[in-house]
Amino acid sequence: MEDLLAYLHFVMLPQMIDALVIGVALAVVALGLTLIFGLLGVINLAHGDLYMLGGYATFTLMGWGVGYWGALVLVPLLIGLVGWGLEELGIRPLLPRADRATVTLLLTFGVSLMLRDLAQVVWGTDTHAVVAPYSGMVRFAEVYVPAYRLFIFGAGFVAIATTWWLVYRTRIGAVLRATAVDPSMVASFGIPIRLVYGLTFMYGCGLAGLAGVLLSPIYAVFPTMGHDFLVMAFAVVIVGGMGSITGAVVAALLLSQVQGLASLWIPPVWAETLVYGLMLLVLVVRPSGLFNRIGEA
Amino acid sequence: MLQAKASRIAAKPLPDQAPKQSVGERLMRALEAAHSNAGQLRWLGPAMLALAIVFPWFTGPFFMRLGIEALLLGAVALSVDILLGYAGLLSLGQAAYFGLAAYISSLMYLHVTQSFWLVALAVSAAVAVFSFLLGAIAIRAKGVYFALITFGAAEILSKIANNTRAIGGSDGLIGIPVPSIPLAPGFAIDLHSNMAFYYVVLTGLVVIYLGTRRALDSGFGSVLRAIRDNSNRVPYLGYNPIWFKLLAYVMAAQVAAFGGLIYPLLRGFVAPHLFGFEVSTKAVVVSLVGGIGTLIGPLVGSVIISFLESAVGSYTERHMFVLGLIFIIFVMFLPDGLVGLMRRVSARRRSVTP
Repeated sequence: MEDLLAYLHFVMLPQMIDALVIGVALAVVALGLTLIFGLLGVINLAHGDLYMLGGYATFTLMGWGVGYWGALVLVPLLIGLVGWGLEELGIRPLLPRADRATVTLLLTFGVSLMLRDLAQVVWGTDTHAVVAPYSGMVRFAEVYVPAYRLFIFGAGFVAIATTWWLVYRTRIGAVLRATAVDPSMVASFGIPIRLVYGLTFMYGCGLAGLAGVLLSPIYAVFPTMGHDFLVMAFAVVIVGGMGSITGAVVAALLLSQVQGLASLWIPPVWAETLVYGLMLLVLVVRPSGLFNRIGEA
Repeated sequence: MLQAKASRIAAKPLPDQAPKQSVGERLMRALEAAHSNAGQLRWLGPAMLALAIVFPWFTGPFFMRLGIEALLLGAVALSVDILLGYAGLLSLGQAAYFGLAAYISSLMYLHVTQSFWLVALAVSAAVAVFSFLLGAIAIRAKGVYFALITFGAAEILSKIANNTRAIGGSDGLIGIPVPSIPLAPGFAIDLHSNMAFYYVVLTGLVVIYLGTRRALDSGFGSVLRAIRDNSNRVPYLGYNPIWFKLLAYVMAAQVAAFGGLIYPLLRGFVAPHLFGFEVSTKAVVVSLVGGIGTLIGPLVGSVIISFLESAVGSYTERHMFVLGLIFIIFVMFLPDGLVGLMRRVSARRRSVTP
């Protein structure tokens, strides 16, 4: 009994705290994906690469002496602007097409190829380390947690709460939800739909940039960081329900716990496979995911 | 006959559904219809074939092997086109069958038998079973979900190949022996010769292409196109869309498996990246560049992109950037691909000089 408690306390609890931190960061990335899909019906395959750009931008800005806190503010704005440009130049002309879901997916895939290569041109193929603003440990129920991880948890939580508040408690959010249901009706009220689309895309991409800043001190910055994280974020969005905000958060926390705990007993790479297996299972049993799309009850 | 009629009826939108086609879309459909009747670009297939036949006479082993790779990529691209161009299903995981075939054939050469035909038979059967099972799951999902399921399945296979020590893990399998292909008693083709290898692959691909063309020009293809254009109406005509889509999916898997069957013999090794996203998406890219729904387009596209990539690769390592840029240009401005462009040009010329 003692042993079991000790096991739960000193083996499982740290693992769960770790998974919780990663889960919150994952939820921030997945929120961006799901917002964009929920409103525009676009699957943004370049999302992972925007996350990667976020990491590289942090590295560069800190090299210029901006400091971590400056990067935390500037990088999401920068990546948001990149996203806005992508929407303005690439996505928007394709939206009137009947097969918009497919063509926008293909377009963002092309953008993803270009961004990944561009990053290698600018920053090379080496892994770059980013220094965390905190280095200490915090003792929490006799378990030591790096202070920076707690900060990620806090910042991610604030981002999620802000997004939720914006979508469900403000006038802008009401417009957004209405647009997700019936864009032509919203447009006939004189609301500039183009702006709604542009801002949502920008906000979603900004979230990817934010996750890039938050995670870069932990994982460091390298060219394929986007791909690996994107696949995981897609698993999250699929399980939670494409276009669902609650779903993205719940599924991110759930899947990161599954992966974190499973890697205690099976090799970590198999834990990852398990997550994809879970994703396929959800697709088979309930293809629309666990929760409904934004705007649907 | 009946099926052709079915496809025409189904193509009309129901009155209560507003047709959600842009002008360009309708124009494309109209052009497509006009051209399939007029039999435009009949010369393209034979011209490509003639070019492919004489190609090795003028080149060395490097380009011959590049040509073989282009043909193998063409097989995967063709399978993408069967699904996307005819059944309207975007698969982001056709590499699953490429990789599956490559691994199964490699394992059989290494541990079971050296007989090419036996291996081919086993690969075909295994891929058929697997694609039937996965297809039965995947085709129930609509639109983007189909793309994501196929993507997820290929990703799982890639992870499994990466993490299973017994099949080499991330190193893959090496030292795969090159068999000879017995055609008749006492006569076998030795694949060690690049020239012979090239012609074997070319012959195989031509046979597959013609078979696919024949199958999709029949009533089966008409029903598939009807499902693509209006899947709600097809059941009322007495066809079950599920079975037609499933058959198309299994067929496409077989075509992609041809590439996987040959690939290990070309390279002598297989690795988990064969299942990966890169292969799947490259197949989609070359299909789109060549022209979706044309069958010949993906082959044109894979030849052009393979050689272009090699040419760009000798100047700069950043060929993915160029590939992405080309791809974006085609998605945005030339959605009917090179073959579509050629058709439009030749249609214009024909209308000018009757």
